[in-house]
Amino acid sequence: MLLRSIASRLSLWVLAGSVSVLAVAGGVLFYRVSQQILEQAHGEATALASEAGNRIEQRLARVADTAQTLAAVIGPRPDDAEVMLRDALARNADLSGLAAAFVPMAENPPISPFVSRQADGSLDSRDLRKDDSPYWDKNWFLAGLSCSQGCWQRHFYSQSRKRELINYSVAISRGGHPVGLINADVSLDWLSRILQDLSKPPGAYAFVLDDSGSYLVHDNPALVGQRGHADLLRAAAQREASRLRLAVAQNPQAKGKPVWIYFTPIEGTRWRFGLVMPEATIYAGARQAFVRVLALGLLASLALAVITLAVTRRILAPLGTLASRAEEVARGALSFELPPARFPDEVGRLTHAFDRMRTELALHIAELTRNAREQQRLASELDIAHQIQTALLPGEHYLDAHCENFELHALLRPARAVGGDLYSYFMLNERRFCVMVGDVSDKGIPAALFMARTITLAKALAPRARTPQHLLSMLNTELCRNNESCMFVSLLCGMLDTFTGELVMASAGHEPPVLSDGQGARLIELDTGAALGLDEEASYPSRTLRLQPDQTLLLYTDGITEATDTRQAMFGTERMLACLEGSSPRTAADLASGLLAAVDRFAEGAGQADDITVLALSWHHALDDRNVPMLDLTISASMDTVFETLDRCDASLHAQGVAPDVRDDIRLVLEELMVNMVEHGRTRDTGDTIDLHMRLGDDAVLVELHHNGQPFDPLQAPPPTLTGDLADQEEVGGLGIHLVRAMASELSYSHDEQGNHLQLRFLHPARTESTS
Amino acid sequence: MTLTLSTQSESPERTTVHVHGRLDAQTFGEFDLAILDVLPRVVDGGTMVLDLSALEYISSAGLRSIAKIRKSMRARGGHTLLLNPQPQVRKVFDIVKAVPVNEVFASSRELDEYLDHMQRQITGDNAEVD
Repeated sequence: MLLRSIASRLSLWVLAGSVSVLAVAGGVLFYRVSQQILEQAHGEATALASEAGNRIEQRLARVADTAQTLAAVIGPRPDDAEVMLRDALARNADLSGLAAAFVPMAENPPISPFVSRQADGSLDSRDLRKDDSPYWDKNWFLAGLSCSQGCWQRHFYSQSRKRELINYSVAISRGGHPVGLINADVSLDWLSRILQDLSKPPGAYAFVLDDSGSYLVHDNPALVGQRGHADLLRAAAQREASRLRLAVAQNPQAKGKPVWIYFTPIEGTRWRFGLVMPEATIYAGARQAFVRVLALGLLASLALAVITLAVTRRILAPLGTLASRAEEVARGALSFELPPARFPDEVGRLTHAFDRMRTELALHIAELTRNAREQQRLASELDIAHQIQTALLPGEHYLDAHCENFELHALLRPARAVGGDLYSYFMLNERRFCVMVGDVSDKGIPAALFMARTITLAKALAPRARTPQHLLSMLNTELCRNNESCMFVSLLCGMLDTFTGELVMASAGHEPPVLSDGQGARLIELDTGAALGLDEEASYPSRTLRLQPDQTLLLYTDGITEATDTRQAMFGTERMLACLEGSSPRTAADLASGLLAAVDRFAEGAGQADDITVLALSWHHALDDRNVPMLDLTISASMDTVFETLDRCDASLHAQGVAPDVRDDIRLVLEELMVNMVEHGRTRDTGDTIDLHMRLGDDAVLVELHHNGQPFDPLQAPPPTLTGDLADQEEVGGLGIHLVRAMASELSYSHDEQGNHLQLRFLHPARTESTS
Repeated sequence: MTLTLSTQSESPERTTVHVHGRLDAQTFGEFDLAILDVLPRVVDGGTMVLDLSALEYISSAGLRSIAKIRKSMRARGGHTLLLNPQPQVRKVFDIVKAVPVNEVFASSRELDEYLDHMQRQITGDNAEVD
C-alpha cells in the first residue's frame, strides 16, 4: 500500500540513497581519521610512557643516590653507620629501610645496623649480626658485595615487615675491596603507588617488567609476579622505547579486548615501564563523534525524505486524480471534474492533454456508436435482403410430381449476404418445363437487385415465350431498358418437353452446360449470344438436345470453375468434369452437392470469392401413358377443317369421359379461337396451319393452339360493351373473345417468329370413366 | 345437318321457330337465310318466339344471328321472345348479357301467360280509348 504511491517510493529511495552515501562517506572518513588518531595516540602514549618512566627513574635515582652517598660516607666510619642510616631514612620517605652490612672480619667486625620504618612511621633499628642466621651467607649480601656501582636486587618478601620489598645494594669499598654494603629497601607498594600516581588517560593502566620478564608492579596487583606475554617480552627486549598491539590483553580488567602497549626502559635499572592503552579508548572520541555525525546525518536524511514525500505529493497530487479519472475512463465514464492545472509543467500539460483526450474520446465514442448502429441497421437490412433473395429462388429440390420423368436439384451460395447468381425453374404448362441459371456481373447489393429484376422478369415473360431464345430476346429487351449502370447478366435457359426429354437451350454468354452419364461427363458446346442487358439487337441461337434416361445436365456459374485455392490456382473445367465423371449413376442432389463439396475442398482456406450456383437436372424418362396426348393435330386453316376438328375433339373428350358442359365450353372456346384464326389471321394465300394439342391432366383439359398467322393476342382485345341487349347496337365485336376469356380456366398467349401460341386449361373436377 | 328449323305460325301475330342442333359459325348463315323467309310472315307488331329447347349449342356467330332477328322485329314494332334455352345456351347468353331477362322464358306456359297479359294490356288500353 505504502509503495503504491510514487511519492512514498521516491522518498524511500531518497532516504535509502542518502543513508548509504552517509554510511560510505562516514566509513571512509572514520577510517582515515582513525589512522590519524592512532598515530596521535601513539605519540601521546609514548610521551606519556616516557615521562612516567622518567619519573620512576628519578625516584629510583634518589634511592640509589642515598645508598651510594651512605656507602661513601659510612665506608671510612663504620661505627657511625647507625646514626647516619637513621638520619638518611628519616629524610627520605621513599625508603622503607636501610642496612649497612659488613663482611665479618677476624677482628671484631663492625656492627651491621639495619634501620627500618615501622608501620606507624617510627624507625626501628637492629644489628644484623644478632640475627639467627648469619647474613654474610645470604644471597642478597653476596650479590650486593659485587655491586660496587650499586644495583637493584631481586624483590623479596620480608618476613619481619610483612611486605614485598626490593633493595638497592651498593658495595662499601676499602682499599679496592668490598668490605660491606649499603642496602636500601623500597617496598613494592611504594613503586605501585608511583605507578598509580602517574597521570594516565582513563582506562589506561601501567606496569613495570623486571629483567626476568615478570611483572614487578602492575596496576592490577593480581598480575604481580606473573610472567609477561611472549609477544610482550619480545617487544620489551628492545633497548629503546617500543610499542606493541596485543589482540587480547593479558590483564583481565581489559576484558579481552585489543590493547596497545608502549614500553620505555627505566634507566639505571634493567626494568621496563609499560603503559597499556585499550584500543577502544583510543578510538572512543572519534567513534563518539562519528556516531553523533551519523545520527545527525540520519536525522537530516529522514527530514529530507519527509520533505521529498511532501513536495512530491504536492506536485503529483493532480497525477493521482488523473490516474483515478483514467480508471473511470476505462470504465466508460467521461464526465468528471479535472484538477486545475496550476503550472505549465508536465503535470499541467498532462491535465490539458487528458481533458482534450476526454473530449475527443467522447466524440469518437459517439461516432463509433453511430457507426455501430448504422452497421447494425445495414446488417439487418442485408439479412432481410438475403431472406427476400432466397424467397425469389424456388426450392432446392424438384421432382416432377406428375410423371417422375425428371428430377432437379439446385444449390446457390452467395459469396456475401446477397449475390448476383440466380436459378429458376417452373412449369410453363403441363408439358413444358423451363429452367435457367444466370450470373449477374459484379457482386453484392447491385448484383442482387439486378438478379431480382432478371428473375422476376423471366418469370413474367416465360409464359409468353415459346422457346428459350425467344425468352432471352424478350428478357434482353426488357433489361436493356434504362440500364444506365450497364449491368448485365449471363443466362442459360432451357425448356424441357417433359414427355419426350427434348431440351431446347439458348445461352446468353453463359458457361456451357455439362452432360453427365455412365460414359462420363462432357461439355455441351453451344453458340451463345451477348449477355443480357448490353445489346438490344442481340439474338440468341438455340440448340436442341434429347435427354436420354439417366443422363444429368449440369448448369453452373463461373463461381465453380473460377474458384481459387490458396495458391491462386483455379478449379477449372477439367477438375469439374473429373468430379462429375463416375460409372455409378448418381442422383441430381448427389452430383450437385458432390461438386460443391469438391470446390469447397479445393478452395479451403482461400475463402469464397464469387457466388456459386450449380443446378443438376436428371432425366429418368419414366413415361406414363396418362401423358400421351389425346389429340395432336395439324390442320390447314379453313372453316371446314376447323369444324371437323371440333367434332374430333368433342368425340375424344367424350371418349375420355369429360362432362358435357366442359365439352361444350371447350368446343365454344376452340371454335371462337379457330374461327378467328381462319377469318382474321391469314397472312398467306395458302399454307396457314393450326396446330392443336389436347391432353388430359388430372383435373383439367389442356389445349395448346399454334397458328402461323397474324399476331393476335386475345388477352389484349378490349372487352365488348355489354348493355344487356345485343340488339341495342349496330354490330357487336369481340363477343367470341369475351366468351373465350370467360370460359377457359386459364389462358396464356405468346407470339414468336413461328406465330401465335395459345395455351388453355379447362378444369373438369368431376372426371368420370363413364362414357354416357 | 347440324341445324334444322321448323316454323309454326299460330297466328299472324305470333310465329314460333323451333331450332334444333347447333348454331355456330358454320350454321349461322343457313339460319339467317331461313329466318329471312320467316320474318315476312310475321305482321308488324307481331311476336316471334324462338323455341330453343332443342338448341344444343350456340356460339358468338349464333348470338349475332339472334341479335339480328331481334333488331329486325324491333324495327317493325314487334317482339322476339326466347323459350326454354338449354344450359349451355343459357350460359352463353348470361356471359354476354345477350337479351333482357324478361324476354327469356323457361316454359311455353310462362310464355303464354306473358303473351296473354300483353294482350290484355293492349285490349284494355283500347277499351279505355273506346
